[in-house]
Amino acid sequence: MLLDLSEEHKEHLAFLPQVDSSGQETRQRRVVFCGLGKEAEGARVSHDVLASVAVVAEFGRIAVEFLRRGSNPKIYDGAARKLNVSRDTVQHGVEGLTYLLTESSKLMISELDFQDSIFVLGFSEELNKLLLQLYLDNRKEIRTILSELAPDFPSYHSLEWRLDVQLASRSLRQQIKPSVTIKLHLNQNGDRNTQVLQTDPATLLHLVQQLEQALEEMKTNHCRRVVRNIK
Amino acid sequence: MELSEYVQKGFQMLADPGSFDSNAFTLLLRAAFQSLLDAQADEAVLDHPDLKHIDPLVLKHCHAAVATYILEAAKQRADKSTLSTYLEDSKFDRERTELFCTEYQNNKDSLEILLGSIGRSLPHITDVSWRLEYQIKNTDPRSHPEISFSCNMEQLQDLVGKLKDASKSLERATQL
Repeated sequence: MLLDLSEEHKEHLAFLPQVDSSGQETRQRRVVFCGLGKEAEGARVSHDVLASVAVVAEFGRIAVEFLRRGSNPKIYDGAARKLNVSRDTVQHGVEGLTYLLTESSKLMISELDFQDSIFVLGFSEELNKLLLQLYLDNRKEIRTILSELAPDFPSYHSLEWRLDVQLASRSLRQQIKPSVTIKLHLNQNGDRNTQVLQTDPATLLHLVQQLEQALEEMKTNHCRRVVRNIK
Repeated sequence: MELSEYVQKGFQMLADPGSFDSNAFTLLLRAAFQSLLDAQADEAVLDHPDLKHIDPLVLKHCHAAVATYILEAAKQRADKSTLSTYLEDSKFDRERTELFCTEYQNNKDSLEILLGSIGRSLPHITDVSWRLEYQIKNTDPRSHPEISFSCNMEQLQDLVGKLKDASKSLERATQL
């Protein structure tokens, strides 16, 4: 499966390989260069490409850190100053990388599909390799973070009930119509969701009976065996 | 029970043996109940050969009058004496009064169910289905049209416990 990158997304990412060629002073470039560490030594590639790769590696690190701990806007300002570009450019670059990583991780796309997907961005081979490595190194952790972020299925929180008897209505006087009103509290994505429902006595007894069967089923040998043996 | 002139006029016509003989009276009476209670009934309910000789306008008037009266009586839970009084005031003879009251008595329960079902209420639970799932890993969430939610053992016990409290309360209330 290939990733579908929007035009806006491609624009944001397009910043990445251009970082080195945006008229920086030599000194600044060296600072970035040294930040990459020992892997850069001995590499027989041009300084330009290496600087770009170094910057992207740094952005990648920032992106993963943001996924772990939430975004920190001050980092954008620092990086923007160092690279002599606008804060927005930095922000878009990091966000573009973040989105690239989360989408790829969510869909668990293969190496080949990832490479084909970013091919459209027209980056250098080194940059593509870096992005792929960034993806492979971090996707497991990103998937864990994503799964914690979106529990979509509502879950039971609690239940309130009330017994009502309808005595009359517009259509019929002198009634005795018992009903049970239930307020069901559910949790969804951290929010509380409330449903107000009603039922009649016969259905209530039926509900209790059915759900007790579910509880009974948990006590059977079959269920006990499964729960015991699969951790 | 306050009834309109239209209804009163209808009953007066129905009381007259000259307009409605015994057979026609019985047929019209039954047609009125049928119109109200039979979901499939339509205007054809008045298409009986033994009613053909009666002016259609009169037929419709009396049919509407009787249906209106029946609904009002059922709504107010009118007893036999209330019915008899009204019918006698409309100049119904003994036989027709008896017949009307008998038909009403036969159909009373169905009428009350019909009227009791009209109205707004909260969404009404009709059934529950359950599924025991041992979660080994997270699966993709699917969306369900009805209300679904998940709960663990303690939560299910809590839910069942609360519903049982409600049903016990219900039982006690029926014994008062």
